[in-house]
Amino acid sequence: MRRAITIILLIVSITVPFIAFDVLPVIGDPESAPNTHVSDYYIEHAIEECNSPNMVTAVIVDYRAFDTMFETTVMFLAGLSVVIILANRPKSRIPAPESLKRLRDTSGRPVYTTINKDVMISIIEPVILIYAMYVLFHGEISLGGGFQAGALIGMTYLLDIMVVGRKRPIFNLPKEKSAALAGIGPFIYALTGFVSMIGGGLYLEYNKMPVPVHQAELHSLGITAVEIGVTIGVAGTIITILNALTERISFDDDNN
Amino acid sequence: MTLILQAVLLIGLIGITIAIIFGRDLMTSVVIYCAFSFLTMLLYNIMGAPDVAFTEAVIGVISTVFFIIILRSIDRKTK
Repeated sequence: MRRAITIILLIVSITVPFIAFDVLPVIGDPESAPNTHVSDYYIEHAIEECNSPNMVTAVIVDYRAFDTMFETTVMFLAGLSVVIILANRPKSRIPAPESLKRLRDTSGRPVYTTINKDVMISIIEPVILIYAMYVLFHGEISLGGGFQAGALIGMTYLLDIMVVGRKRPIFNLPKEKSAALAGIGPFIYALTGFVSMIGGGLYLEYNKMPVPVHQAELHSLGITAVEIGVTIGVAGTIITILNALTERISFDDDNN
Repeated sequence: MTLILQAVLLIGLIGITIAIIFGRDLMTSVVIYCAFSFLTMLLYNIMGAPDVAFTEAVIGVISTVFFIIILRSIDRKTK
């Protein structure tokens, strides 16, 4: 019965997109709805209004700055809800699975079968972190931006936990601190908006910020500040979810 | 050429989805799900959105690891 329902749902969810695919406009069609109104405006005015060499950045953090701000807030709320649902339950102590027992010798100490983990982590982690910084600060010109950089930083923490273990990671961020970090990100974003209000502009109008540099540079500075906020928010959220997931699992013979 | 590649990738996505739904071993499903996000990344690249493809590549890895962490606390096999 359940399998029949699954098959019916599968057929529906395969056929409906195929039918809908006909209705969608062709990629790059000049007559489609978004290309006749906003796209022309963005293409004509993005360079002079935003001083940003990359139009995607101009749209994301300039024309749709509020959208990005509340997206970051939604990320923070998602992390918080995972913590609320998972972490406050009593810890479930379960017998270690067979696959894990095989990795321990008779005295209970883990036996590793991989190459030297410390060497591996000390080579890979700095490279990922440097790449995250490159993606963050070069994001307004090339690919990437705050979200990707934050995800890369979160991935570094994840590697740390996977290789070194939850008790001895290199960056030790407990649940409370990482949740606070996830909240600091949107806060930095919102604060940038108020800074430009101090200079007499509108909320998030970067080229009115009271900093004594050139107009174009001011804009780039504002974008960078906002992207740093997004990075901190995303990294904090990923680390929070990871902490909440790993915290409630502990095996009976987990003694390292 | 691009159309053929796109068609192959889309058919691959459907096949992967069926394999995930009917798989008996959850660990296999999780690993195949990682392949799903990889194919989606290639599709985004073909459609001219490398920005989204980059995000998909990173998030695909992170969500796979999340699933594997959860799998440590539940039974691997489905009934």
